Amino acid sequence: MPLIRKGGAEPPAPARDERGEALATLTDGTNDQRWAAARAAGEAPGGVQALGQALLTEMDPRVREAIFTSLMRTHSPEAVEAILPHLRSDDANLRTGALDALRGLAGTATPNLPTLLRDPDQDVRVLACEILRDLPSVEAKPLLCELLGRDEQVNVCAAAVEVLAEIGGPEALPALVACMARFPNEPFLIFSIKAAVARIGAQITAHRG
Amino acid sequence: MTEQEFQRLSEFLYRRTGMLFGEAKSYYVQRRVTERMAASGATSFASYFARLRGDVLGEIEQFINAFTVNETYFYREDHQLQCMTTDLLRERLKGKPGGETVRIWSVPCSTGEEPYSIAIWLLENWPQVDAHDVEIIGSDIDTDALEAARAGVYGRRALMRLSAELVDRYFEPLDDEHWRVLEDLRDSVRFSPVNLMDAVETRANGRFDVIFCRNVLIYFDDTSRRIAAENLFENLAPGGFICLGHSESMSRISPLFEVCRYADAIVYQRPWEGARG
Repeated sequence: MPLIRKGGAEPPAPARDERGEALATLTDGTNDQRWAAARAAGEAPGGVQALGQALLTEMDPRVREAIFTSLMRTHSPEAVEAILPHLRSDDANLRTGALDALRGLAGTATPNLPTLLRDPDQDVRVLACEILRDLPSVEAKPLLCELLGRDEQVNVCAAAVEVLAEIGGPEALPALVACMARFPNEPFLIFSIKAAVARIGAQITAHRG
Repeated sequence: MTEQEFQRLSEFLYRRTGMLFGEAKSYYVQRRVTERMAASGATSFASYFARLRGDVLGEIEQFINAFTVNETYFYREDHQLQCMTTDLLRERLKGKPGGETVRIWSVPCSTGEEPYSIAIWLLENWPQVDAHDVEIIGSDIDTDALEAARAGVYGRRALMRLSAELVDRYFEPLDDEHWRVLEDLRDSVRFSPVNLMDAVETRANGRFDVIFCRNVLIYFDDTSRRIAAENLFENLAPGGFICLGHSESMSRISPLFEVCRYADAIVYQRPWEGARG
């Protein structure tokens, strides 16, 4: 010993702090330059708007990921607005990236959720239910229960039921039972609701025990 | 501490470190704040928080140190060490120019058990260890833990998974309950402070062939995990590997890495340049 030598390599040069120059290369340059710019842009003045613009044209999945993370990091309503349109994307990766980012921003996105839950596009309503999974249950449950009482699409209701099975308490039971009555010919939904009701019931019993 | 004070403090800690303490952890937070208030002489939460925000006498560092968990031991999850010598280093050496140093990062390294374990494991189990320069760096946000790591003194519990032969070979006894890592081995590991949330700090450590980042991301929320994952991605050489704790999955955090299933462990790899769009 020592067979392993301390400091065998040249110490790497400290990286520059790129925050000040981030926006210049956000939409131009190589993948690596855009990645670095995306990572730094969130903290630059005007960065959220620039990130939102870049998201519209960026095709590299790694850079997109960095853009989403930087937007999440700002915890700002502007970031939510920049991400929301991509819930409608035909690109599954972009749509999933937007969903993950909005789940991380669920608290900031709260004011947008009632509108999303009434969106004409049922796929958007399904994704909105997923975002609710990351809200405090006291905020999420009334929104989900309200949706169960009116949404005509079985897939949307099934998404809401799945989230309620995880976060719901006794106050969710009437909405679940009423939803089951609205879809008497949908065995899958009925099965899901019965499973959710049983799960919530078990939680109530365990809590009392 | 009132609920509002707890929230202010939790938010401060989160912004500094990415660690998120919800109300369920309020007792844990309260205990540490009480300790820091006593140590710093603050007589009220308001005066302590002002001291903290102003970083009076380096209070931020002391505060962060109080919140980190430094419970670990030698050869913890050694199946990953086995994977390193059986598969990961073989893969890395395929793509490295001859003579280039193999770089391994233990982050967070806590009080040093992990980076010293890596060193001992390599010496004991990697036949090529004499043929390559290997640089091992241990980094942690907790500067008290780093001081302990540099000192290299451990009790019986930390050594419980090492055979008596290994203890004899790599440690010197100080008393009946404590052993110190031999100087040669201590000199083989470099320690540095790092905040995984700070890209400027992580980048300063350069790129590695293998990173051990175990049981820290579980303390972060989703956003912080993604930031840390992106920082770690930058710290890996293309084709380099990262090992997480047994209950952690990079696939649930970030799509940047590729999953690699080896006989001894599942690890994550930074794709080779040009391997993806």
